[in-house]
This record gives sequence, structure tokens and C-alpha cells, in this order.
Amino acid sequence: MNIRKLAWKNLLRRKSRAVFTGLGIFLGIATFVAISSITSQMEGAVQDQLDRFGANIVVTPRTEQLSLGFGDIALGGTEVAHSRLTMSDKERIMSIRHRDRIRSIVPYLLTATDASGKNLVWMGLPGADMATARPWWKINGSPVRKRGEVVLGAEAAAALDKGPGGTVSAGSRQFRVAGVLAPTGEKEDGMIIAEIADVQSLSKRAGGVTYFEVAALCKDCPVEDIVAQIGQALPGARVSAIRQVVESRKAAVDQLRRLGFGVSAIVLLIGGLLVLVTVMGGVQERTGEIGVLRAVGFRRRAIFSLLFWETGWVSLHASFLGAATGIAVAFLASPSFGIGNPGIAVSPALLGVAAGLTLGLLGAVPPARRAAALSPTEAIRSL
Amino acid sequence: MEDIIHLKDVSMTYGRNGTRATALRGLSFDIRGGEYVVITGESGAGKSTLLTILGGLQVPTEGTVRINGVELAGLPADGMADFRRETIGFVFQAYNLLPYLTARENVMVPMSPERVSPREKAERADALLAAVGLSGKEDRLPSQLSGGECQRVAIARSLVHDPPVLLADEPTGNLDSATGEQILDLFSSLHGRGKTVLMVTHNRANLSRATRSIRLRDGEVEEDREFRSSRAESAAV
Repeated sequence: MNIRKLAWKNLLRRKSRAVFTGLGIFLGIATFVAISSITSQMEGAVQDQLDRFGANIVVTPRTEQLSLGFGDIALGGTEVAHSRLTMSDKERIMSIRHRDRIRSIVPYLLTATDASGKNLVWMGLPGADMATARPWWKINGSPVRKRGEVVLGAEAAAALDKGPGGTVSAGSRQFRVAGVLAPTGEKEDGMIIAEIADVQSLSKRAGGVTYFEVAALCKDCPVEDIVAQIGQALPGARVSAIRQVVESRKAAVDQLRRLGFGVSAIVLLIGGLLVLVTVMGGVQERTGEIGVLRAVGFRRRAIFSLLFWETGWVSLHASFLGAATGIAVAFLASPSFGIGNPGIAVSPALLGVAAGLTLGLLGAVPPARRAAALSPTEAIRSL
Repeated sequence: MEDIIHLKDVSMTYGRNGTRATALRGLSFDIRGGEYVVITGESGAGKSTLLTILGGLQVPTEGTVRINGVELAGLPADGMADFRRETIGFVFQAYNLLPYLTARENVMVPMSPERVSPREKAERADALLAAVGLSGKEDRLPSQLSGGECQRVAIARSLVHDPPVLLADEPTGNLDSATGEQILDLFSSLHGRGKTVLMVTHNRANLSRATRSIRLRDGEVEEDREFRSSRAESAAV
């Protein structure tokens, strides 16, 4: 018989009280672990989704604004490009140190030229990259699969009165309309999308590129590093991160994390209070027993230790059970939160067990102190 | 024998101004080692208060208490706990066993905070249970024992640290007369082995084993008599 065994035996005797004491910790830890696991997995899923949503870096030629005027009379201005981008710049972008983080580099060429008698903007891009570059496009028909095919923006199709299977003439060439874009609300609604080589041919700019869109997988890397490295690889280009994408990604993940911690903190606080109240009630109920222990020579520290062990046992078991339940709940609920491949988050579980044990023991401090301070005479008198 | 308990001008007052109640008024007496003292008196005479003071459960508001050479007034809380563990064995009327522990475990309770091997603790508990006649019942819970057997377990528990002084508060109060006699036999046996026994009781029959009787009335010693033998009981009554 020692203090630990005495504590354990008492717990077994008062099972319902022990269960009730542990319930708060169990619920708190289960909630904490479930939310933390789901949040951390959602964080990854959200980042993956956002990374795959489209490009987050744009590479354009560096330009300077040239003011035109005569004396004090301003005649407007014009942008002067220092250099032009070409298809070979794609290789230079792929030469950066963080190239393994680059998911795709899509060159675009924009040009305004005649299309069946109407002056429209042509957007050229590799047909094979269309699905990854613009995953939100909904095409009635099929995307551009080879040279000589075009996809019309919704407004362009209306202006030309063409649909899938029709033809569009440009210069001396005929292009087959492979599909028509559903309205996007963006500028491409009024454009003709074609294979970049065809647009280069139409604009007489062999190998020419207006801009590159780079999709970087930046789950664990700052996009700014990649921007800087591309800037070094292409000194004549202006490289900029699409700040909105990056910021919205950070904000979404931060919100999830804050929500998780907030809810867990509240539940854990309630769990701690439950421990305090039940252990305090237990001390009240066991005043006589504590008196007997004091009478047979238990020091205050031994009484304190007894209460601490009791709560420690309960907290440890409740924390482990809570962590296991939290993991199971997170695993089962993951698909509902859009997590494709749910895994087991070990860190929140370990943190949960440690937090539950700490919380339980902290909640036991006031009642244990009270029990240790009980006057043996008063305790004996309560028998 | 030398004095093992020394009380001088001991008073105990409960409450504050306006609601003060005096339980003991200037008690002074000495008890020699090996005496068997029965403390009697009506309800409210101060018997239980005296027992708690002698047991180091509380300190008197006035006076000096010295037991086994230890001045209780100056002891800190932990010192008082050590004093109780080493010097005093308590036996309560209601046994006060922990109902979720077996007889052996109940006897082992006072040893719980000690760094002694479980086997050694169990051996010591079994030996004490055998000494009080409970061999073979070590693994029974209090609910599986009779009242007399529970009181024997409580006596065994009080002897764990081999204290020189045994304090008993109405130890036969919850027992029938035959079982009560067996318990008194046990106390006589312990007294015969050199223990100083102080027993608070209402039952004058308990005087038959005592070597001395102290009767309290309103917190004062009304009568303090020594007997040459147990047969002197009739004279006291």
C-alpha cells in the first residue's frame, strides 16, 4: 500500500465521481484533438487547393513610363519595354533553385487582330496547359487540342455568331471552333483563345510571349523567395506575386487555426472548472476520511499528494481516451471537411494528453490544498 | 515508571467572544508509562476534547502538554503529524476503516507515505492482524467483517508504528457486550505488553481492566483514582 495505490483504490470505489471528474477533461481533450487534427489537415488541404487554383506569380517585361510633352504642355505618356519575353525564358525560370516548387509555367501571348472581319483580342497559350492554367473554365465543346483550333469567349462567340464546329478566319487561315467558354465575367469572355504558336504566327512574333503565369507550390516556402529567384534569372522582367492569392490563403488558414484554438480553449476551460468543482466536492465528502488519515500520521503533503494522484490518474486516463476519441472523430469527419486522405495527427494528440494532465492537476490544486489544510479535529468530528 | 503524559493547567475554549464555550478548565495530571487509564464523564464533560489534545490533533488554548518527552505546543503541523504517527495509536468508536480497502490494506494505510517495500508492509500488517486474532481474514473488506473484527483491524492499524500510547474513544460503544469484552481483553493484553492505554468511555464496566480512573465533570477533574488491581472496580463505582 502506498499513496498511489490508495488513490487508485479510492477512484475504483467512487467510479461515478471519477467518471464525472474525467468527463470534462475527456470532452475538452477530444474536442481539442479533433479540431486541431482537422484544422491542421484542412490547412494542408486548403493550401493544396489554393496552390492548384491557379498561378500565384506573374512574369511580365519590365517597362518604364515615358512622359511626352512640349515645354509645360503634357502630351500623355507611353510604356516602353526594356526587353521582350520569349519562349526560351521558360527554361530560365525553371533554372531557379526552388524549381521543384514550381508546378507549372504557362506562357501567354496577347494580340489584337482580325477575326472573321471583327477586330478581337487573341490569347495564345499552350493548349495542353489550358486545363491546369484555367481550371475554372467551363467549355461547351472541347479545349484547344492542336493548332488550327480555337475556343471562343462567350462574348466573342456572340459577336462572331459562331459555336462549336464553326470556323473563324484570320488572315489567310481558317480556325475550327473547338468550344465556347461559359461566361466567366473576366476579359477572356471577349477573346479568342488559341494555341500560342498560332497566335505567334498571326502576330508575326515567333517565340514571343506577353507574360508568364507561374504556379508555385508554396505550402512550406515563402512565395517571395521564388519571386526573387525568378527576378534574378530574368533581369529584364518584372516578377510579382499575386498578393491577393497569397494573403487570402494565409487568412483562410489563420482563421481556421484561430477558430480551432478558440473552441478548444473554451472547452478545456470548462473541463478544468469541472475538475475543480468535482474534486472540491470530493474533498467535502471525504472530510472524515481525511481526518482519519491525518490522525494516523499523514502529513499535509501526503494528503495533498493523495488528492493529486487521484486527479492525476483520472486526468491521464481521460486525456488518453479523449485524444483517441479526438483522433477517431477527426478521421471519420475529415471527408466532410474536404480532406481527401485523412491521416492521424500525432502532435495534437500528444499536446492534448499533456494539456489534459496539466489542466487536471491544476484544477486539483485548490481542493488538494484545502484538504491538506483541514484541521484533523474538525475532520474527525465530521465522522 | 516515568511519566509519559504530563498535563499542566490545560484549558480549551472554543469560539470567539460572545459564543465562547469552555471544554476544559485548568486540567493538570500526569500519567506514568504502562498505566491503563479510563476517562469517564457525562456528555459534554470534555472527554473527547481531552483525547484530541492528548492525540496531538489540536493544541489547548492554555497550558502545557508533554507526551513522551515532546512538548506539543511548539510543534509545527508536520511535526505534529510525525508525533501522532510515532507516539499515538488511535482507536475510534466507529472503527473508521476505509471501506474500499481490505483488512490488510487498512492496517497498511499509516505506512502508505513510507518508502518501505510493499512486501515488508504486508508482512507487518499480517503479523499485526494475527496478533489481534484475525489470521486468515486479511483479504476481507470491512463489509465482510463483524463489528468486533472491524475494531480489531482498527486496533491493529493503531499498532503499526508500535506507539507507546494508545488512545481509544469508546472502542466498545458499537459492540455487543460479549464482543466488547473481547476487545477489552485485547486492550488488557496490549497493556500487559507495556502500552499506555487511555480509554474514554461511558461504560463503567470498562473500569474492570483499568489501573486508574479519571472522571471529568464540566471540563475539570472530578475524581482521579488508582486501583491496585482490576477488582478495585467495584470500589470506584
